[in-house]
Amino acid sequence: MSDNSDSTLQVTHLKKTFNGRHGNIAVLEDIHLTVEQGKFVSIVGASGCGKTTLMRIIAGLDTDFEGSITLRGKLLSGPGPDRTIVFQEHRLLPWYTIGENVGFGWKPGSDAQNKDAAVRAHLELVGLSGFENAYPHQLSGGMAQRASIARALVHRPEVLLLDEPLGALDAITRMRMQRELEAIWQRENTMAILVTHDIEEAIYLSDKIFVMSARPGRIQRELSIPFPRPRDRSSYEFTRIKAEILEEIDQDTAACGSGCVAKAENAIQV
Amino acid sequence: MSTQRITAVIGRDVPDTHSTGWLRNITTALDRIARLSAGAVLPLIILAIWYWATQKQFVKPIFLPSPLAVLTAFQRMVVSEGFLRDLLTSLSVVVRGCFWGILLGLAVGIGAGGSHWVERMINPLLNALRQVPALAWFPLIALWIGIGDLAKEVVIAKSVFFPVFLNTLQGIRNVPPQYVEMAQVFGFTRTQMLRRVVFPAAAPTILVGIRFGAGLAWAMIVAAEMLSGRSGLGFLLEQSQDMLLTDHLFVVIVTIGVVGFVVDLVLRSIEHRLFRWKEDIVRR
Repeated sequence: MSDNSDSTLQVTHLKKTFNGRHGNIAVLEDIHLTVEQGKFVSIVGASGCGKTTLMRIIAGLDTDFEGSITLRGKLLSGPGPDRTIVFQEHRLLPWYTIGENVGFGWKPGSDAQNKDAAVRAHLELVGLSGFENAYPHQLSGGMAQRASIARALVHRPEVLLLDEPLGALDAITRMRMQRELEAIWQRENTMAILVTHDIEEAIYLSDKIFVMSARPGRIQRELSIPFPRPRDRSSYEFTRIKAEILEEIDQDTAACGSGCVAKAENAIQV
Repeated sequence: MSTQRITAVIGRDVPDTHSTGWLRNITTALDRIARLSAGAVLPLIILAIWYWATQKQFVKPIFLPSPLAVLTAFQRMVVSEGFLRDLLTSLSVVVRGCFWGILLGLAVGIGAGGSHWVERMINPLLNALRQVPALAWFPLIALWIGIGDLAKEVVIAKSVFFPVFLNTLQGIRNVPPQYVEMAQVFGFTRTQMLRRVVFPAAAPTILVGIRFGAGLAWAMIVAAEMLSGRSGLGFLLEQSQDMLLTDHLFVVIVTIGVVGFVVDLVLRSIEHRLFRWKEDIVRR
């Protein structure tokens, strides 16, 4: 499924308004972004800028918006087998084994492998071979998150969405998981869109970074990260880009004041 | 569980215990025996005090028969007074009443859980009905359908219905929305959502409601039989009191307690077996 000729995700003039008690709040305004097939992009920004909202719309969990999202030229609305998402919590169903949980991502007719083979292959891909019969509560946070990544990839979607997937992990596990995520992405060659607070994570993993500003949420800046992989976090270019992005976000926060973020968070209630 | 397997499952190192092999097996077995018999300590102490008190004749036997007298009475009741028949009568009424109460509780609970409108429509009426204790309905029901097993079954069904209904409704409402969202993204159909997400998520709460209802039912049957029974354990209680057969009283009371305890134990072990996927709370 992921070797289509032109698997481009195109978001055009996306706008979302939240009709709250205190009037209408523009959550997302004129979002315009393009992601090419097989690329890894990140969306970063201050809390409350709407990046999770944008992610949920792309995943199809939210269909109340204006504008359009197309994949391979086809209009998207609602969830579909072409997009999967990895949430911040692993969201594995506790009453099923890891193997069964990963199997939920499988769709009949995907890639001609039978379900068991696909599940086993993807568990191996994320380094969880042999854990098919374990239950989620027996796994550590990092392992459970890896299982949810396997679940998202098992039917080889065209778009892999990641909503702060490593946010709940400790710093050391997070760094290790970033490397593993990169390796998994390179092997699967799927399009990946990552939402994160961690600028370093974004720079380490992405080909392109979208910086979002808050209230209303819009794409403030688009940066290309053409560095070769694997990237060196302590290199000059890395540090320079990081400073640049931080400054962008700082500027945005200063421009609308710190009350902005809090207001936006209250309004969105995501 | 070997240390290797523990490490593999939880992904981090577990310190090895000091003893190994046969010594460890013995200490583990002793430990298990100790844990299981801890619960028997207090009852045994009470039994000893009871025996000693009756031996010393602190109280008249009519108020406190000796343990041996109770045992003898039990034997007599079983062999020549049809005790088992009364026990069976009570049990069968309870089982039938429970069955209907659980069935209706599940049905209405699922209906209300699935639809907010249904819930809004039936909640006020059900809440009002719930305030009236089941036993208070008994005279009216007995008047309508006669004093007999059916009236008792209806009253028991009523008292079982409410905890099951409430817990079913709560269980369904409390399904974590994160799981529902995840299932939506992964394209679960409505049937799959119900079978794989909603029902397993609600099951623990529902089972607690059933366990609670079963306990209520058992208490209810004794009361109902005391009110107007001609057989069953409650009736035996009344009769024993009338004839001042305190040893009989003790037998019935102990039996009621034991049966209730066993039923609860069975339900709890079913619960334990079904919900092994739940996070292990710190052991004992």
